[in-house]
Amino acid sequence: MKTIAPMQAERLFTPFLDAVDGTLCLPASATFADIHEQAAAHRLRFPLIIDAAATLREQVAAATHAPASSRFGPYCDNFLGINWRLPSGRLARIGERVVKTTTGYDWLRFLLHSGRRFGEPVDYVLRLRPDCGFHLEARLDGDITALRNCVRRLLHSGWMHWWDAVDFLAEGAAFSVRVAIHCPPDEAPIFAAQLSGIASETHTRLTLRDNPPPSFDGLPDVVVKTTPDRAIGLTCELARDAARCVALCYSGVVHVHLNVGEDVAERAHTLMQPHLGELHALGGDWHSRWLPATPPTVTESQWIETLEKAIHGS
Amino acid sequence: MTKSALSTQLKRLLPRGRVLDSPAQLAGYASDALGYKSYQPDAVVIPADAEELVGFMKGARQLGVPVILRGAGTSLSGGPVAAQGGVIVHTSGLKRIREINVDGFWCEVECGVGLNDLDAELKPHGVFYPPDPSSGPVCTLGGNVASNAGGAHCFRYGVTSNYVLGVEAILLDGSVHRFGGPAGGRGPWREDWKRFMIGSEGTLGAFTRFWLRLLPLPEKVWTFRATYPDLRSIEAAIHALVAHSSYPAAIELLDPRGVAMVESSQMAVGLPKGSFMLLTEIDGPAALVNARVEPVAQALRQAGSSDVVFSDEDAMRQKLWKARKAAGGLLGQLSPDYVVQDAVIPKSALAQVLQLVYDEADAAGIRAVNIFHAGDGNLHPNFLFDSRVPGDLEKVELISERLMRRVIEVGGTLSGEHGIGNDKSAYMPLVFGPDSMRLQWAVAAAFNPTHQLNPLKVFGDRRFAV
Repeated sequence: MKTIAPMQAERLFTPFLDAVDGTLCLPASATFADIHEQAAAHRLRFPLIIDAAATLREQVAAATHAPASSRFGPYCDNFLGINWRLPSGRLARIGERVVKTTTGYDWLRFLLHSGRRFGEPVDYVLRLRPDCGFHLEARLDGDITALRNCVRRLLHSGWMHWWDAVDFLAEGAAFSVRVAIHCPPDEAPIFAAQLSGIASETHTRLTLRDNPPPSFDGLPDVVVKTTPDRAIGLTCELARDAARCVALCYSGVVHVHLNVGEDVAERAHTLMQPHLGELHALGGDWHSRWLPATPPTVTESQWIETLEKAIHGS
Repeated sequence: MTKSALSTQLKRLLPRGRVLDSPAQLAGYASDALGYKSYQPDAVVIPADAEELVGFMKGARQLGVPVILRGAGTSLSGGPVAAQGGVIVHTSGLKRIREINVDGFWCEVECGVGLNDLDAELKPHGVFYPPDPSSGPVCTLGGNVASNAGGAHCFRYGVTSNYVLGVEAILLDGSVHRFGGPAGGRGPWREDWKRFMIGSEGTLGAFTRFWLRLLPLPEKVWTFRATYPDLRSIEAAIHALVAHSSYPAAIELLDPRGVAMVESSQMAVGLPKGSFMLLTEIDGPAALVNARVEPVAQALRQAGSSDVVFSDEDAMRQKLWKARKAAGGLLGQLSPDYVVQDAVIPKSALAQVLQLVYDEADAAGIRAVNIFHAGDGNLHPNFLFDSRVPGDLEKVELISERLMRRVIEVGGTLSGEHGIGNDKSAYMPLVFGPDSMRLQWAVAAAFNPTHQLNPLKVFGDRRFAV
């Protein structure tokens, strides 16, 4: 086979919307309104928004998952490509515009949540999903045991695939469960009946709202990644010293929102210190958008140095 | 080092495992499922367990030969073969399912566990691991993670990288590292190193075990089969399904040449001559999925099919899948050799890329059959040839190169689920510009700077030099 000459320039992404594939390329500074404006015209949506005003870059820096990750996976499964600005100022294309790839090493998932240590995102390629036209939001209230049972019922059946989100909400000692559903209007009664049955079985009180206006939890101050079975317990503990917490139950993620005016850095460290051992043993982690990244271990310093040489050499 | 000296050293490194060095034993490891290219390894080792694999990796640097990790050898890209000679490490000894945690939706498995064996163990717990490459009955999870395997149901469920929470890997210095774990985060590391490990095709480290994410089993599945007279109508059907609110799990396609191949075999199922066959599945709770059956059937009919057949009964569903599943096996009966490509394209370019496959193959006198994951835009054109016929392989390589150039022009990529191996490494300069290529090489430089692990793969000039 003859040798193919190397390319002289990067194949960068240019802004596009592919309505057939459901993919959208737009600047990292785009917000929910920018995405919605383009996607909605094609009956598409990007469900992983946690803050209406924040840019995509800020959302990705703040969190790895959104409530709808329960159904669609973390950000890294829904961001297909990036135009990445290297420290030299040049742009490199990372990832693809198609929905699956195993071409080369996966820099996309590595860089997406790496902060600005290796450069910064300029444009993103997003995977959109069909907009079915109807939202249903359920709130389930009850005591903590009832709510735990309720979450277990919601997740441990084939229905789990079809909830956009199953979130456990905690404000101090007040707890509730929020379920988001996105479906065609004619399927809404089927979902409502299922939720009603679960509420009845688990002795929780159900409140349903049809097509509520979009509401978002906002950017979390601290994000914790654990296993799904530990998320509610951890949320209850963390909520004692936070303004509110949201557990993304299937993802095993806890979003912690601290009280306004607190010294976030100190509070975050104090909150997380007792949990570090267990988190690391489970392969979990935590981070805060307000804090610098954990210092690298001695072993990974060498790997990072090699990557940085390549990045800075560009 | 002579082969005899190598064997002696290997036996010291693996006192409990096996060392294979006779020509008859080595012949079984000379190729992967790609078949037409073969490379005799100098030896094959089968570590008894992870501990022995660690011992082998610690001693590997002193051996001074390439080291190639191999699961079941079902790769379709020339991945787990000794392209530069050396020792193949067969991981069949590491086959324990160590834990299934239903409440946490994860399991911990060793790299040699068979994919379908895992599914059989998971089923009674009401959970499943979604990636489903067609080699499921024989392939191992180690191979799946190394090549970021996909399968027919990726359209909704995604590929292997969507489900790997953690990887334990042994690097060439014998150090053992856990990247992630049941929680799927970074663990104590600053960076998320497992991202590089998944899909690294045996070039960064030897995997011993994984933590995998699980999902609840769907309660009910409906399978639909429809045929279409032309490319325009099959495209309309694909477009309707990918936007459908039922979120199909699979959207599979067999082109008219594939249909003809099935219909002229003993696996014939009565598909109309000259038609495209589309197969799709929806799954979920019965109350929900049953309400979606007629809307899906209607969408298939509206796109131009007059023979939409569907069922939720297992026996009938197997019949509907029969042509799709038989097609892969029939290729081997039609031709001594075949190359299967794995490009992924934006679906809007489907017609023009398929036409290119037909035009190029017909002009060269090479038979081409397309069986692929239409929902993902993941093409699998199979080029049938006879490597004993002078010039045939060169024709196929030329067609493949032209195909890959077009794939990249339309915004696609070389591989969706098979990996690059040594079969597609020549095309990598079509994908990566100078800066992104430098980043790609940096990953190998960080973990395997001498390219002792699986040389000549992914990037063809990754050559091991002692």
